[in-house]
Amino acid sequence: MSRSTTVILGFVCLVVTATGVQWISAEKGVDGKRSFLIPTHIEAILKSRCVNCHNDEIQEGNIRLDNLASLSNESRLDILNKVQSQIFLESMPPKDGEQLALLSREELAVWLSTELDKFNASKLEDKLRLPAFGNYVNHEKLFSGDHIGEKAFTVDRRWLISEFIFNGKINHLLDYIPTRTIDGRQMPVIGDSGVNIGTRFGGGSLRQSITNPFLLPTNIGVRYYDNTSLAGGHLLTMISNAKKIAAYMATAETMKAHYPAMYRIMKMELDHRETLRLRKNFLNVHMKRVTQDIYGERDETLLPKFVRIRVDEIPVYGTDPDGNVIKRSNIELLRTRYGDDLQAVYRGIAEHTGNGITFEQIIEKCERQWFTFGLHEKRLRARVTLMMVLRKQWEMNLIYDDVKQRNIRIATYNPLSNTEMEIIEASVLKHRVKGDRYRQVIDKCMDEWEQEFKRERLLAGKDDKGQVGDLVDEMYVKILERHPSSQETQDTIALTSAYIKALGKQQAIAKIIETLVLSTEFVYRYEFGQGPVDEFGRQMMLPRDASYALSYAITDSSPDDELVSAVRRGDLRTREDYRREVVRMLSKRDQYYVIDETVQKAGFNSSITNTPIRKLRFFREFFGYVKAMTIFKDDARFSNGASYDGVKGRLVDEADMLVDHILQADRRVFENLLTTDLFYVYHSGNNDSMKAASERIRKIYDYFRVHDWVNFTEEQLYKHWDFIDEMKMMGTVFPDFETNAKRRSNWVRTFKSQMTSYTFRLANGQKAAAPYDATGMAYWNKSDSSTRTGQQMRGPDVGRFFNIDFENWDYPTTQPAKIDHRKGMLTHPAWLIAHSLNLETDPVRRGKWVREKLLAGTIPDVPITVDAAVPEDHHSTLRQRLEKKTNESYCWNCHQKMNPLGMAFEIYDDFGRYRTQERLEHPDNLVKEMPRERGLHIDGRPVYKTLPVNSKGVLDGTGDESLDGEVVDIIDMTERLSKSTRVRQSIIRHAFRYFMGRNELLSDSKTLIDADLAYVDSGGSFDAVIVSLLTSDSFIYRKATRK
Amino acid sequence: MAIDRRTFLGTPVLGAGALALSPSFDYVLGATVTNKYPHRFIFMRKSNGNLPSLFSLPTFSTEEKEKDKNKEAFETDLNNHELPVWLRGLNDHKDSLTILHGVSMTVSGGGHYSFSGCMGAYKAGRNVISGIKRRTVDFELAKLVPSPFNHVELSLTGDYRAFRSGIVPGYSAPAKYQRNYCYADPQTAYDELFKSVTNPEAVGSDNMLLDYLYRQEGQRLKGLAGKERLKIMNHVGSIQSIRERNDKVATLSEAISKNLPVIDKIHANGGPNATLLDKQHAFSDVLISALISGLTNVVTFTIDELSTPITTLPGNTSRVDLHRLGHSRDTQLRDLVKASHMTQIAKIVDRLKSIPEGSGTMFDNTTIVYMPETGAGHHGPDTEAPMVIMTGRNSKLDIAGRYIRLPFHATAGHKTLSNWYTTLLNAYGNPIEHYGDKDLEMSRKKMYQTGAIDQFLA
Repeated sequence: MSRSTTVILGFVCLVVTATGVQWISAEKGVDGKRSFLIPTHIEAILKSRCVNCHNDEIQEGNIRLDNLASLSNESRLDILNKVQSQIFLESMPPKDGEQLALLSREELAVWLSTELDKFNASKLEDKLRLPAFGNYVNHEKLFSGDHIGEKAFTVDRRWLISEFIFNGKINHLLDYIPTRTIDGRQMPVIGDSGVNIGTRFGGGSLRQSITNPFLLPTNIGVRYYDNTSLAGGHLLTMISNAKKIAAYMATAETMKAHYPAMYRIMKMELDHRETLRLRKNFLNVHMKRVTQDIYGERDETLLPKFVRIRVDEIPVYGTDPDGNVIKRSNIELLRTRYGDDLQAVYRGIAEHTGNGITFEQIIEKCERQWFTFGLHEKRLRARVTLMMVLRKQWEMNLIYDDVKQRNIRIATYNPLSNTEMEIIEASVLKHRVKGDRYRQVIDKCMDEWEQEFKRERLLAGKDDKGQVGDLVDEMYVKILERHPSSQETQDTIALTSAYIKALGKQQAIAKIIETLVLSTEFVYRYEFGQGPVDEFGRQMMLPRDASYALSYAITDSSPDDELVSAVRRGDLRTREDYRREVVRMLSKRDQYYVIDETVQKAGFNSSITNTPIRKLRFFREFFGYVKAMTIFKDDARFSNGASYDGVKGRLVDEADMLVDHILQADRRVFENLLTTDLFYVYHSGNNDSMKAASERIRKIYDYFRVHDWVNFTEEQLYKHWDFIDEMKMMGTVFPDFETNAKRRSNWVRTFKSQMTSYTFRLANGQKAAAPYDATGMAYWNKSDSSTRTGQQMRGPDVGRFFNIDFENWDYPTTQPAKIDHRKGMLTHPAWLIAHSLNLETDPVRRGKWVREKLLAGTIPDVPITVDAAVPEDHHSTLRQRLEKKTNESYCWNCHQKMNPLGMAFEIYDDFGRYRTQERLEHPDNLVKEMPRERGLHIDGRPVYKTLPVNSKGVLDGTGDESLDGEVVDIIDMTERLSKSTRVRQSIIRHAFRYFMGRNELLSDSKTLIDADLAYVDSGGSFDAVIVSLLTSDSFIYRKATRK
Repeated sequence: MAIDRRTFLGTPVLGAGALALSPSFDYVLGATVTNKYPHRFIFMRKSNGNLPSLFSLPTFSTEEKEKDKNKEAFETDLNNHELPVWLRGLNDHKDSLTILHGVSMTVSGGGHYSFSGCMGAYKAGRNVISGIKRRTVDFELAKLVPSPFNHVELSLTGDYRAFRSGIVPGYSAPAKYQRNYCYADPQTAYDELFKSVTNPEAVGSDNMLLDYLYRQEGQRLKGLAGKERLKIMNHVGSIQSIRERNDKVATLSEAISKNLPVIDKIHANGGPNATLLDKQHAFSDVLISALISGLTNVVTFTIDELSTPITTLPGNTSRVDLHRLGHSRDTQLRDLVKASHMTQIAKIVDRLKSIPEGSGTMFDNTTIVYMPETGAGHHGPDTEAPMVIMTGRNSKLDIAGRYIRLPFHATAGHKTLSNWYTTLLNAYGNPIEHYGDKDLEMSRKKMYQTGAIDQFLA
């Protein structure tokens, strides 16, 4: 055949369509590299449904579909990706055009997938793995039952640990066992990463210094997915973390306490160090005695000449209006500010105080002592200055008393063993020269001994391999929670030896620890199928890996003892084994968790639960109300004089308490979350203690109301001291209250403030008073009521969010309690704030949430050509302004899915406060500014002109005609939503994602249907849903790939 | 080590379907220095706010005094005035000096601390990582002037009784939710920054660790495909980049040796006997050397925090601490504290002016920002935040030599911390429209507050 014939035959016939477009399908594409052929049936589909709008003359959306073969590979793949996405989302053909038959759509989808897979180029598949795209799998198909025959599994994966798992691992390595006092009992808690308690208040500074690089994204919805990988930023942070962890683990104290193999390797060196330490400590305290014993009378002649240090003149602290000198008396402050120097000064005072000895003489004796010892000149100056300051500025009687009270013991002379004393004496004689201060002699002796010990260790030779092997095993068990393989042991021993050679033993050990902490195994969960392969190509995880998968599904911790035992016994191999363990873990109530450290820190909130933490956290993420912590608000709009930041922690804490309360009951969970009218408002969660606190206030009020307390003088007030003392009224519990005249005389004012506040709470016929403090106090003071963790209960302003009328609030001591105008979590102020803007509500976002989370709907991204900003118009409500923009047909395509739902929330403002009028907050509409005045009964917001609220909305998409339709407001809507099957199923889909760490696929249909049935059959138990999910094929089985 | 990543890993062509990887962090490790004479930035942050009255010039005219008192906008040439006593350490550098009033810190807040907030123009809440909203401005600038260490942070803080030491959590943030580390004592800073010269064994062992990890993790790639392969590859690539960074630092050994600071042995083991001034001086020495040797072009130095012990500050005769000082009316001690800071700034300026660079000196290409952490006082207010700024001859800001008071908070023309940072970023090559949060009161009043301070852009 001639070349020209071949070339001619190499071209497929041109097909001329009705529009005159010419198709070109070529054996060789433009890049000349591979052929691109469109099967005939696909061509026909494209021709009949696509090309009319996507050809060389009309290119809707800038897409041409008539010239695919002539494109470069890259361009073609790009087009095919777009087509695949549109077909999958059923966006094309457009709704007003002729639709594809189901078969045609499926054929097209298969062909597109095949073409893209040739180059591993499908973006849709990656997109569908992202949290935002979970809903794109058709809901009806998932629950139709048509796909229950497909075999579910999860693809083999490494799953990057979450911030919570990381915290647990670090706590384990640092032996950090956090506790809280909960309801009066100190208990260990999980979920404390050390950021809550400042070092000033006893928090662990080492733990706080570990930075967590695995923070989850802050989107509302399920956050912890399996598609994140370790990045450079993580590694840099982990390198610093690893050094700190290693430094701690390799300390002498830690290895002695926890790591016997490490200790064995280090024993000789540590023994040497201990000997040196003892010698140094002994000499530091008793050097004078030692030298006197050695040199006798000659000792004085060998000392350096004592020269007193010069200190600047110290002025008086202050004078009163009459010119009398004021002295300082706050001993507590003195103690917290001067640490080691003060201790040394106190020791000096204790040692040298005697009859007739003046303080100046004590200063001189201390100074001489410190000078002779060889204290650094700067430290000496600091101490002498401190003593001068005490003399000049402080009440010396109090100082002497404080020294006495502390019962400072002067060390008695106890020599070390005879052998040690001989060594010491020999070294002192060898090294001391005239003029040396004691420290110089000690340093020279120490240096000599250190060198001797070093030589001794060198002579002792290298460690045997067995010991190093034991060390390696010990570190693997501690850090990676398993034993090393023999290859790993070999490699790590070699590495350790290299480190020892370069760095010495202790640093080498630290380096090994760093090495293991920086391995990917430390930061990835390993979920690969490794058991027998079933007929569908699936495998279960090995029991050890399964134990981690189960444990991390329900808690953030490594497997507990029972799970570990089950693995060892071989009892974690079947679905029933999984069920047993899941049920057991879900029923555990003997472990407390910190729910959220940020909430704890923001105002001393408890934020604790004994519900398995991942269960509660699902709903935190699902509803997303935690975001109220990060939305910043203008306090003047909250109430001038009040602080939003000061109260948001309480609000979120109480939202958590409500969710927890519903989960603990575990009946009709979804329905109750959506429709409960019971809420926590300024409550610790402990009904008994809230009742007691409220009754105490009642008692105080009732006692004093019959007296003219408003006009009490000091004398009159203290006639009631027995009662005041019995009640431990605020401000009277300072240790020196009764003896300190100043405190007592000031307290009249405090008393009257309290009584004014109590009267405000009870004078209008209220039965019970909310137990908040009348005035703010420093955190260490006991308040009128406490949280469950024993701290001050702050944040009574939380009632503002709920429109509480503080002047008439009959406080419910038993909560959760009914609150007007509220129904379910979607009317909780925390949720409402989280789904608002800084200064306005956000009906679009609220509607989007309902559509996506409850109605399993999808909303496309905002097109890049759109300026998604609500126009300004200070004569209109937000609704009116929004409608002006979004009612245009181009916008309404998407906004029809959101706005009608979101507008129903307009009965609440952006602080979650119920309203019937909308404030038009613009300077032109300002009626009155408000002064910055505090008071719970004061609405300190600027006054603006208003317009009536319109909260009418439309519910659609439940799939139930009896539920869909117009709604009056969100209370109406949420009642309907709670009855919807689709809503229930949508929540279960999100639960699937949360516990599986991935989006659902059609092959997971049976898993979802089973979970739905489990919920219904159990009367609405969320535990039943979790058990169903974690014993499903989707969870149990793994496979290397979906292909 | 010069292992070519692609060769070692045998990376196949992955195509468009590859797992989405996190953004490259090469800039954090300091990409190749592109500017011949990069601009340098030093942020010096301090606690207790800056009382505006202490920044007024003693020789204001009657009219200027009135405007200053009423917080009205105006400018005046420093050469026509005396400086407040505490600022006279910079008398010789008036031409480079700016006293900047009127920028508000409401976006980051008053109160005792703002943590990373004042560097990122957001409210950081409590000192929790989830409060870190974005990369702080110093790290943003560091991206524009890459260097081997990218950014160095120093802090002279403590627990009221004693200074902190070692490597501790810092106050800047290289990314959202990531807190930086800082050196809390001069010896640690010296040991870490210059260890390629002072402790090559330690560097060698770090490299040994990295090489081992590189091999071990590389072995995990065998048999892996698709996304699982990518996860490990990413990690291996990161290790490689750090290793290369270490090699790059090693090439600066000569410059480092030549400019190694001398640190007194009083600073050994955390320097428990060193006084406040000892530590300030030593930190400045380290900072200067790090800049001169090219290890970094951006340094953030928290010169004090409320818990920094100042009992050894000469003149602190009541031995009060910074927190109590903040609650008191002792402006004299406040001035003493600031004077000690100015001593360090003068030292840094003098030293940089002594190093030739281009047709001038290193200081020509330097900006120093001395700023309060929390506005205009101990608990705020945050409506003002007086600053002292030093800019060299080649500065892209037109502010030198002046006392500048911008319009007061929430009045027409007012500029926030966000505007100030936007100005810095725009001036030096980041065209961001607006960096930082918006002031809520101004938002409520519908006042325009986006963008840079145009009048400052040269």
